[in-house]
Amino acid sequence: MPGSPIQSRALTGLGLLFLCLASPLWAAKVTLDPSNWGHAAGEACVNCHTKSSAGLAQEWRESAHAKAGVNCMDCHQAQAVDPDAIKHEGEIIATIVSPKDCARCHETEFKEQQGSVHAEAYSLIKERIPAMAANLTGPAVQAAGCDQCHGSKVKVKGDGTLDPETWPNSGIGRINPDGSKGSCSSCHGRHLFAKAQAREPEACARCHSGPDSPDAEIFAASKHGMLFSSQRHRMNLDAPQWVAGKDYTAAPTCATCHMGAAGKLPSTHDVGMRNAWALNAPVSQRQYLVLLEDGGKLEIPAGSPVPKRGEEIAKLDGGLTKVKSVVTPERRREAMSLVCLECHSKPFTQGFMRQFDNLVELFDVKFAIPAKGIMADLYAGGYLTPLPFDEPIEFTYWELWHDEGARARHGASMASPNHAWWEGMYLVSRNFYGKFLPEVRQEAGSEAQAIIDQHLTEDAGHGWLDAPDQANAILGFGTHYGPPASQAGSGGDR
Amino acid sequence: MANFFSAIPITRPILIALVIGGLGGMAFMTFLLEFDRYTSSNEFCTSCHSMTFMEDEYRKSVHYNPVSGVRAECGDCHVSAGIFAATWDHIKGGKDLWKQFFGANYDDPVISALHLPEAAFATRHWFRETESATCQRCHVLEAIQGKRADTAAIHREETAGKSCIDCHENLVHRPVPSQETFKREAWNQMIEEEFGLEPGAAEKLLAKL
Repeated sequence: MPGSPIQSRALTGLGLLFLCLASPLWAAKVTLDPSNWGHAAGEACVNCHTKSSAGLAQEWRESAHAKAGVNCMDCHQAQAVDPDAIKHEGEIIATIVSPKDCARCHETEFKEQQGSVHAEAYSLIKERIPAMAANLTGPAVQAAGCDQCHGSKVKVKGDGTLDPETWPNSGIGRINPDGSKGSCSSCHGRHLFAKAQAREPEACARCHSGPDSPDAEIFAASKHGMLFSSQRHRMNLDAPQWVAGKDYTAAPTCATCHMGAAGKLPSTHDVGMRNAWALNAPVSQRQYLVLLEDGGKLEIPAGSPVPKRGEEIAKLDGGLTKVKSVVTPERRREAMSLVCLECHSKPFTQGFMRQFDNLVELFDVKFAIPAKGIMADLYAGGYLTPLPFDEPIEFTYWELWHDEGARARHGASMASPNHAWWEGMYLVSRNFYGKFLPEVRQEAGSEAQAIIDQHLTEDAGHGWLDAPDQANAILGFGTHYGPPASQAGSGGDR
Repeated sequence: MANFFSAIPITRPILIALVIGGLGGMAFMTFLLEFDRYTSSNEFCTSCHSMTFMEDEYRKSVHYNPVSGVRAECGDCHVSAGIFAATWDHIKGGKDLWKQFFGANYDDPVISALHLPEAAFATRHWFRETESATCQRCHVLEAIQGKRADTAAIHREETAGKSCIDCHENLVHRPVPSQETFKREAWNQMIEEEFGLEPGAAEKLLAKL
């Protein structure tokens, strides 16, 4: 049996062991001998670039790279056969420094990052782009919008130049000309590459903001964010080692919980590793993390069969590889909780996680699953065309899970009450009852009620609709603030 | 001196020979000068259809439309200064004429684009060999100021051992990668996409020649 409990426990044990061995500190120290860098031709670049692009050169000069003797050529060197190689002032270089290039020294971070949800950010939405960017707007949006966060598939033109439709780009899932995925400069801005800037919540805000994943706003509105901004001077952001509870205690940032070292928990550049849920899906499911032989990773919903070690499995990009080990959502949650435990008690942590899980499950059971079921029936019944976004209800449904639904779930995950409720579940419920259901009635006419009734069961929390005479003072009418009984009576007769 | 001349009898035939020789020499030099002037002009160069593809790109460039109003014509960049060097360049250029008549069909824009990289490499090689002498007919290193703050400093301090072409290429005609990093397959694919050709068509076209 592929999913026998003992076997899967053994696998998850191995998985966690692997994760723990991944790297001992915040960011693995480069242990290579300095003779590996200090490219002879690199010194000359600086003279000219100090004049031609003074800002860039100065940023580099102040970087840890410059102090360690890492020069332009150490990162930008290329082989003539590389697809994006160009000759510049007598040297063969590449404009794009890919994660593979950074891995010449930062191998640990590269291995952790490859296969992460960040590295796969382009592949994850590749299929959706035609319906969104292309149909709703136009191709120009892909380069200026989608790809700037998710990453572009960089195209090197036949004349050796980088196609401006795909470059400049520092999206986190960028497909580089050398085949590697991601962009280190997405978080470690050029050319200072400071540790501190990647530890700041602002490092994430460029993409984790806006209607669908306002994580920057959620963090800022949370107690953690409030502590961070008031105690910023105590965050020790420049420290070489940055272990929560040891090197800083004032507040966590995004990096603390999703990547940072805490107690015995090692740091990681696989940013989604500690996430037990898939919060940006139409219906949230807990996720297995499948570690693959080729260094890649894959997420599989908890309900599906657990793949066996050594089993062949297809990756997101279609390639085949074998399963190395499987980490259960429970283990992933445990890893995340280890961060909390640096400041909070176990019952506090478990209680918080319970509140978070409850909200996600509420969203699923009460809104996400019924709405998905209703939509499926509308498509199956021919009430809607298969083309997305040519009927108003498709926008409503999309926003229900992708915008307010995601906001609610993210709000609960990071303790912003405002986002869990007003920006989240309140809008989910308002749009579900006030927009989605009326639009279902519009699309399906006389058949609508039968379709709705099939999915809106009383035990999912929709029974309140069957008691229309239950008054409440919330709107300024009814028992407390309502008009005198005589008027109320005449109103009722209307 | 008088003795020397008086020693040679200026006979009639000698006088005629001197006059004819002198006039002939003047006519020959005039011919070379006029030949250079005419064959260096845009009108002459683009009288071959194949060269109009080069012209299209040139017309979009700053060398065709400079703010200064000083337009560089084909020969200003591609033919050396000095009548003897210029004549030699024109003689070498004769091989292009030969190719135009007996080589591939360069009048076909696809063939032209497929062969462009080799032409660019050869031209860059020539510019390097001549230390970008034709550029310096107009551009004087010491006089380069530029719009950006450090353009003058870069030209003053960073140009030792270099000539213009070492930093400035792909200025006028369609951009071509450096020879060291050039990838024939990628170039062919780009041209195929541009002209809506089947994949592999470029290779077949090149093989035919």
